[in-house]
Amino acid sequence: MSSGRTVVGHNVRKVEGVKLVTGGPAFTDDIQLPGLLYGKILPSPYAHARIKRIDTRKAKALPGVHAVLTYKNVPRVPHTTAGQAWPEPSPYDTYLLDSKVRFVGDRVAAVAAESRAIAEKALRLIEVEYDVLPAVLDMEQAMAPGAAVIHDEPDSKGIYDASRNIAGYILRGIGDVDQGFRDSDRIFEREYRTQRQQHCPLEPHITISWLDGDGRLVIRTSTQVPYHSRRQVAMILQIPVSRIHVIKPRMGGGFGGKQEMLLEDICGALALAARRPVKIEYTREEEFYMARTRHPQILRMKMGVKRDGTILASQLTVVATTGAYGSHSTTVQGNTGSKVLPLYRAEHMRFECHVVYTNTPVAGAFRGYGCPQGFFAQETLVDEIANDLGIDPVEFHRQNVIRLGDTDRLSAQLGEGKEGLPRIVRSCGLPECLDRAAAAIGWTGKRQALPAAGHLKRGVGMACTMQGSGIAGIDWASAFLKMNEDGSFFLQTGAADVGGGADTVLSQIAAETLGVSLDKIVITSGDTDTTPFDVGAYASSTTIISGGAVKKAAEKVREQVLRMAAKMLDTPVENLTCGDNRVSAVGKSATMTEIALHSMYKEKTQIMDGASHFNTDSPPPFCATFAEVEVDTETGKVRVLHMATAVDPGTAINPAQAEGQVEGAVAQGLGYALTEELVLDGAGRPLNPNFLDYKIFGAKDMPKLTTILVETDEPLGPYGAKSISEVPINGPAPAIANAIFHAIGVRFRKLPIRPEDVLRALREKETVADDQCV
Amino acid sequence: MFDRVEAFYRPGTVREALRLLQNGKNRARVVAGGTDLVVEADRSIRFLIDITHAGLSYIRRRGKACVIGATTTMATLENSPAIRALAGGILARAAATCGSVQIRNMATLGGNLANGSPAADTATPLLALDAEVVLADARGRRKIPLTAFYSGLRKTAPGKALLIEVVIPALPRGGRWSFQKLGRTESDISLVNAAAGLQLDSKGRAKWARIALGAVAPTPIRAVNAEKLLVGRKVDESTLAEVCDQVAREVQPITDVRASAEYRREMCRVLVRRALEECAAGTGCSL
Repeated sequence: MSSGRTVVGHNVRKVEGVKLVTGGPAFTDDIQLPGLLYGKILPSPYAHARIKRIDTRKAKALPGVHAVLTYKNVPRVPHTTAGQAWPEPSPYDTYLLDSKVRFVGDRVAAVAAESRAIAEKALRLIEVEYDVLPAVLDMEQAMAPGAAVIHDEPDSKGIYDASRNIAGYILRGIGDVDQGFRDSDRIFEREYRTQRQQHCPLEPHITISWLDGDGRLVIRTSTQVPYHSRRQVAMILQIPVSRIHVIKPRMGGGFGGKQEMLLEDICGALALAARRPVKIEYTREEEFYMARTRHPQILRMKMGVKRDGTILASQLTVVATTGAYGSHSTTVQGNTGSKVLPLYRAEHMRFECHVVYTNTPVAGAFRGYGCPQGFFAQETLVDEIANDLGIDPVEFHRQNVIRLGDTDRLSAQLGEGKEGLPRIVRSCGLPECLDRAAAAIGWTGKRQALPAAGHLKRGVGMACTMQGSGIAGIDWASAFLKMNEDGSFFLQTGAADVGGGADTVLSQIAAETLGVSLDKIVITSGDTDTTPFDVGAYASSTTIISGGAVKKAAEKVREQVLRMAAKMLDTPVENLTCGDNRVSAVGKSATMTEIALHSMYKEKTQIMDGASHFNTDSPPPFCATFAEVEVDTETGKVRVLHMATAVDPGTAINPAQAEGQVEGAVAQGLGYALTEELVLDGAGRPLNPNFLDYKIFGAKDMPKLTTILVETDEPLGPYGAKSISEVPINGPAPAIANAIFHAIGVRFRKLPIRPEDVLRALREKETVADDQCV
Repeated sequence: MFDRVEAFYRPGTVREALRLLQNGKNRARVVAGGTDLVVEADRSIRFLIDITHAGLSYIRRRGKACVIGATTTMATLENSPAIRALAGGILARAAATCGSVQIRNMATLGGNLANGSPAADTATPLLALDAEVVLADARGRRKIPLTAFYSGLRKTAPGKALLIEVVIPALPRGGRWSFQKLGRTESDISLVNAAAGLQLDSKGRAKWARIALGAVAPTPIRAVNAEKLLVGRKVDESTLAEVCDQVAREVQPITDVRASAEYRREMCRVLVRRALEECAAGTGCSL
């Protein structure tokens, strides 16, 4: 795809790489502000309680304390913390501070003090008397009659049925599933369960807020959504948007956990109250239970197939919990249907989901956004069906998956909080993904290999997945470019590079379009004062949507450059081309520097322009994930030996960065499959909010990785690009579960697949086998 | 974290360290690598006494015994030719499983023991090796068996004393050794760990046996009854099954967020069997 391209498609160095690897100031915390105060939040010790009495006098009297906030002295504005486009499709059920607490870790009060120690002491001096209420911890109990009502406040809006703890409800379908099941030769139905996973960004949530010389509120914060945060903070603190300046510095990861206005409101409120700069940084422990998690789900998946393996109907019925607040509640769960079921060409589909409140940590956006849950169910069931029908799972996929030119009609039914738009597959590398990943893992030979003697059993498994690239009809971005005297360009974009390399990719798109080398692009991003609007980094949108805006802006600027060069070279524009840092015609050329100087000092014109961009479709990237595992039948431990992941991201603007995204997603997917789970006790308290007992995959745990980019040319993407950051996280869990089945003949339908569960299942299987012998 | 700490001392000798410990009453804590202490962040601490400059970082041969200073780091143990050669290197192997490279560069042998964790990775091989510890206090020095050092869950014997060195006495010749650890990931605290030593006579019978386990009782333990059961018996399938059943009876694992008691108990069987099989097959590390 990169033929003839000089910047796009090349592994250029990350534009901010030197700054990062030399440890220069880059992140939110890397500034020194005189008079900085430390903010700290008092977390609720109870899962569900009303604050009967709260007395902050002792805390306020403590020397060094500059602000103490409770529900009594802050505005009460219902809102959502979900960093989504206005009007957000998540319920407005959250308050800056409230007289009721709804999970262990919910905000009770906040203080700002001269040191962390004083802030912690001040929290201990706040006297709180709670009226402890019955807590709803189990999502299956949340809708039951008599369950405690978590949102009984009258002023929340957009809750589907507060009296039954239902934050959102979704029912959508195409065709007639009942008829589809009647027409099927075989029907398979299974239940799956997924857990509470935490993002574990290297850099926890952190916000520093202060008033600038003009009295405007500056919020320097580690966020994926600078613009949404600005709009939401303005609403919550009741100050105009124009009085807020959000700055997003370099970030140490977000993974969706920072598609959330999480600390910006309370930190801003403390800065306003104290009239001093305030910093709040979550500890790792706080990050685990006071930030966000992936939505736990119970999924019931039913599929009807013909004897030849053709899928006729699929039905997915889900109960999910959003925790105590409905951030991203219906949209994440909507994805569980709309991005998962249409992987297959079944004519009849039905998706139903109840998203319920429980008194547990709040769920939110998390890489994959509802798809890892859905694909775990679907791809595990599909493997079961293929095995049952005696069809090789790879063949079964080839036979049933969506193809180039197909229309996904379910997506039209399931948009972001409203009816969506149909998806048309305009680029599809899935068949090649299947072939190449299967070859990399050695599929054919390993599927047919005889079981090994001894306690170590090997197996291979696979899964196919897809995602989107931006939210159709909703996500949009803008970009602005201006030319400098030396022929370089300032690129300003609201896009929020979370560490994945967006700034580099966007600079590459600008450089390619303008015909200049990458060093001629100087990018500023994610600053609400100096860069134009962008919805932010989520929904795999930045490359396709922000990149689309950059390309459009660059094309407009290129037109201006060419017109200026036409004058200088006395040649018609149509005879001119940009490239190699100059504009050339046959026999003559002008360098970008000459054009810039001419434009600025002779013509008195600044070459500059901006553009906005959105798509009415969300082109799916595709992925085939193959896993090889070794199961220790004595300990139940599953060792992953090899993960082969082939992804169709459209054009890879920066292949090395794209591969990095795949590897990172696979690492998180491995943890999701085998080790990661935030566990709560019977009172809703987290039992493992630390890396000692919440196990993520580290460098030593990683298996051999084979990452294959199957590039296609997407008509809706800049230079043919789609997306890559989310789709590879969906495959590891089902591929590993299927590989385990291949190894030991046991199906696992609950995540994570822990050694203890494997061992127990093996024992049960032996018992059954023994009984059958008798 | 240590906002209440008033003073940080770095004594150059054991005598000085003991004086500071005495003066600090109950509010002084000894720190070596700090990898447990920093996480624990005990707010009652007022004085920290860093013993890493008190001359306790060494590995020496004393007569037929091997002597290891308390502040010798895990990284040193892991890489020391002497420790790698000792009992087939089970102590080096155990040290190599403690945390990450960064942790092992800081964490010390004395700290691993004095912290009193039943999951201490080095305690298990040391128990199997019949190790002793040398304690120092104002009255002088005394040597006690490691088994006597542990008095209960997170409780160790010293009181006001300082653990200054570990002594591994001369080992019976001809033994073979094994260390086994089960964690959830590669860098993890042990769910269960086990160390074994075994020597077979010409008829395949056990001349002597040592079996130690970690993370399955309030302290790291020796499975003495299982050892007794093994001695004099031919090490075959049925003996191993019996011995492992006995091991399962001798441990008292708990259920927590890491694993259930039943699973831990079952893993004791698996790990001990693997350790003994490794020793018996001669694939274990020979002395």
